[in-house]
Amino acid sequence: MKKVFVSIAAAALAAMPLLANAAPVKIGFINSITGKEAQIGENLTNGAAMAIEDLKAKGVQVELIKEDDGGDPKNALAAYEKLVTRDGVIGVVGPYTSGSANVVASRADQYQVPLLVPAAAKEEITMKGYKNVFRLNAPANVYSSVLLKAVAAFKPKTIAYVYAATDFGVSTVKTAQENALKMGLKEVANEKYQQGQPDYRPSLAKVKAANPDLVFLVSYDADAILLMRQAKEIGLTPKAFLGAGAGYTTAQFAQQTEISNLVISATQWTDDVNWPGAASFAVRYKAKYAKEPSYHAACAYEAVRIMGETGSKALTAAKLRAGLKAGSWNGIMGPVKFADYSGFTNQNNHPMLVEQVLSGKYETVFPAQFGKKKLVYPFTR
Amino acid sequence: MKQVTIIAIIAGIAAVLPLVTGESPYFIGVMISVLMMAALSSAWNILGGYAGQYSFGHAAYFGAGAYTTLIMISTFNFNPLGGMVAGIIVACIIALVTGSIVFRLRGHYFGLASIAVAEIVRLSALNFEFTGGAQGILLSDVSLWGVDLNSKLPFYYGMLLVLVVSLGITLYMRSSKTGFYLQAIREDQDAAASLGINLSFYKNKALLISAALTSVLGSLYAVYIRFIDTSAVLDLRLSIEIILTAIIGGVGTLWGPAVGAVLLVPLAEVLRSNVIGEALVKHGIVSEKSGLGIFFKDNLAHAHVLVYGIITVLCILYLPKGILGLFRRTK
Amino acid sequence: MFFLQSLLSGILTGGVYALAGIGMSLVFGVMNISNFAHGDLMMLGMYMAYFAFTLLHIDPYLSLVLIIPTAFLFGFVLEKVFIHRIISHPHQNQILLTIGLGLIMSNSALLGFTSDPKILTTSYSSSAVHIAGGISLSVPLLLSFVITCGITGVLFLFLSKTTTGLALWATSQNREAAQLMGINVAKMSALAFGLGTALAATAGALIAPTYYIHPMAGHTFLLKAFTICVLGGLGSVVGAGVGGVIIGVVESMSSTYLSSDWKDVVVFIIFLMVLLFRPQGLFGKKGEQ
Repeated sequence: MKKVFVSIAAAALAAMPLLANAAPVKIGFINSITGKEAQIGENLTNGAAMAIEDLKAKGVQVELIKEDDGGDPKNALAAYEKLVTRDGVIGVVGPYTSGSANVVASRADQYQVPLLVPAAAKEEITMKGYKNVFRLNAPANVYSSVLLKAVAAFKPKTIAYVYAATDFGVSTVKTAQENALKMGLKEVANEKYQQGQPDYRPSLAKVKAANPDLVFLVSYDADAILLMRQAKEIGLTPKAFLGAGAGYTTAQFAQQTEISNLVISATQWTDDVNWPGAASFAVRYKAKYAKEPSYHAACAYEAVRIMGETGSKALTAAKLRAGLKAGSWNGIMGPVKFADYSGFTNQNNHPMLVEQVLSGKYETVFPAQFGKKKLVYPFTR
Repeated sequence: MKQVTIIAIIAGIAAVLPLVTGESPYFIGVMISVLMMAALSSAWNILGGYAGQYSFGHAAYFGAGAYTTLIMISTFNFNPLGGMVAGIIVACIIALVTGSIVFRLRGHYFGLASIAVAEIVRLSALNFEFTGGAQGILLSDVSLWGVDLNSKLPFYYGMLLVLVVSLGITLYMRSSKTGFYLQAIREDQDAAASLGINLSFYKNKALLISAALTSVLGSLYAVYIRFIDTSAVLDLRLSIEIILTAIIGGVGTLWGPAVGAVLLVPLAEVLRSNVIGEALVKHGIVSEKSGLGIFFKDNLAHAHVLVYGIITVLCILYLPKGILGLFRRTK
Repeated sequence: MFFLQSLLSGILTGGVYALAGIGMSLVFGVMNISNFAHGDLMMLGMYMAYFAFTLLHIDPYLSLVLIIPTAFLFGFVLEKVFIHRIISHPHQNQILLTIGLGLIMSNSALLGFTSDPKILTTSYSSSAVHIAGGISLSVPLLLSFVITCGITGVLFLFLSKTTTGLALWATSQNREAAQLMGINVAKMSALAFGLGTALAATAGALIAPTYYIHPMAGHTFLLKAFTICVLGGLGSVVGAGVGGVIIGVVESMSSTYLSSDWKDVVVFIIFLMVLLFRPQGLFGKKGEQ
């Protein structure tokens, strides 16, 4: 009898750690699965899925509850509330768009559930002092500062802006103008365009007439290709085309070799940067989804991984928040630490990279410690 | 039972609902969306259903209310109610300008012109700095006489109130001189004019009432979400959704728009959050790994607008008087 | 220098708009219906050109030979099955039906083709012809313009020289009178809608090499097409052609001399002006409502 009792007790003790890990930790994931940003949203979904698998392989069980906001802040809010009040998540990753991220961020402290923003750019998301809002990616002002730094050595004098009339376009150019002023660059043209037009030639002609050294572009996928095509057609040839992320960093853009060669763009991540696991992530992603990952995929992967690992140790929202605040990680997005600086709260001071299309491929060219190739300047056809 | 009594009973039930269901923010959030769409469609119905003037650009008034309110609050430090009143004024101005242009036109031209005006309003809001341009307007803090605006309840009751007012006005108008004149205009404008009815006056009256109500809803929305941009409050899709809700429920009837909203808004939410797909899998009707299962899992959530389109086509072809039209012989 | 470049660029783009407008005008004239699915029909043409290019390796301009009859058939069937039933319904219901059909088309495309914008890159997609004065003309746009002129010419001949065409034209002038003359107006409606669809799809295929292909891509052109129809005169083929070129030029000029932001507003204001002051358009007959 005693033997049976001891063996049962022993079995129960042995099972305890298993029991403790039995219930997977619940993390919410808000993304633009439908809507205008669906194409980029797909990258985020895939990156998150890979993170869950990798965590599972390491024995960390995470249940990722996915919600679609369709790029609409109203839906993002509904999604966040559903996740937090009905699904019992202890943390949320997302949303993707800045508008949605802003709205959800403003409620995070009210519900006291930490929010980790993976890729939204608007600075104000982490400038309101919200204790429960964390951001992994570099904010909008870094897009322009890193691009301008990359070409500063060549002493350009003038700059023109061509950008989409969207939140991202307008706010990125605003910060670019501040950074350009600091570098002593003179603005010679400012062309804001409505997306979806078939003809950008009038705007591009005005830019060509101003003869700028730098052309700073902010566009989404399809527009980027159209703009560069029409730029080639009318013979716009500045000393450098600087693309602020988005459409200038997609695989599809690079493939249009007639028009993409030597275009320089800022990005949150590339596959040839020497951060641990970055290269293999790209290889595995391509094998699994038959497409090249964009930086959004890497951001989502790392955000979900950080949330999952920290969450599985923390088990409650409050402890998760403390864990995020105190922790530091080093993965495919490089060293991550959420800190308060320059008016930001819980912002990871992520170094953005500059890549250039060389022979149909993106190569990291700046900063020097991450780049393998040298930046080619000036731009030629 | 008198219609007024019905309105009172349903309003009473709706008023008590949040207290009974334990104030789940998610549920109340969905209810707010339902009430808002019901109110928007009912307000549109005053002009569209009763006067027969289908405005395809009603989002302009919604956006006018939303933008004016947030601009007044953030730039001029108004309180939300003051902003709302300012919104009504702006919406009415836009309505008068619109009316003077479009009410002279008939048939196709009227609908197209209303779209053109709404698009001009949208593009203007997108291009001017004081409306936030492409960035929209984000509100950090807002307060009103100690009422906690972080809670959803004030907005729930606000939307409910506008719905009740819309229904009340519709009911009153139906049996008033204005209502009879509007219905005469709807049936045959030329005959009405030949009887001495001042077409312009009555059409504009209906439009102003409709625009004012729509604007209040826009103000409520803006303070509720605390972020607006042109695609949230001025988009053509919103205008069309308002009309479809009224049509499917039953245009020109008192409860039609509300019925449409009660059916379509939860349907959209259910599709968005993929509840149907998950339920089918859970109950074993569809296997998760089968082709159909995967199709549902990946695509049903995206299909909400497709479903709207299908319902619209079926409705126009087979139920042109909407759902409530099934229950009415003559109207 | 800007002026000439802007003008020529606008004329070329306007050619494509014109084709879209002509299709819509034909439907308006014969059936008195505002087809809000017109943009989505253009979108279908874009996808047809894309698949012909990537799967069958046919140049987009050559693939018109396949696209035109296919689109015609699609429009013909659409009319017989759906549109025909509401031909005598109130205007607003007709509009809403076409809106519903449009939503079905664009969202089915979304489900089927995903929202990845597809780019059709031919060898001449970014080529330009450079003429005197530093002006460059896009090669694909030039080709589109030439083809548009050709198609418009053929259409004109059809409408004025063939029996069926004359019957169609008569129906667009006065439906009741045509019926009294023994013309089968139901058949004319199906024919008109089929033609309208074929023209829309053609416009889509023509613009595909210089634009991008996306389930929602047709919507940009929908309101432009309405403006062109109204400007040219509802039911006037020539009017829509001229209207298209005018709108193309207005857009181009507004972009150059005002700003790209406001060019759509200018087009809408013109639209309203025409509705208010000359509702019959440039070539329509007065009193036509």
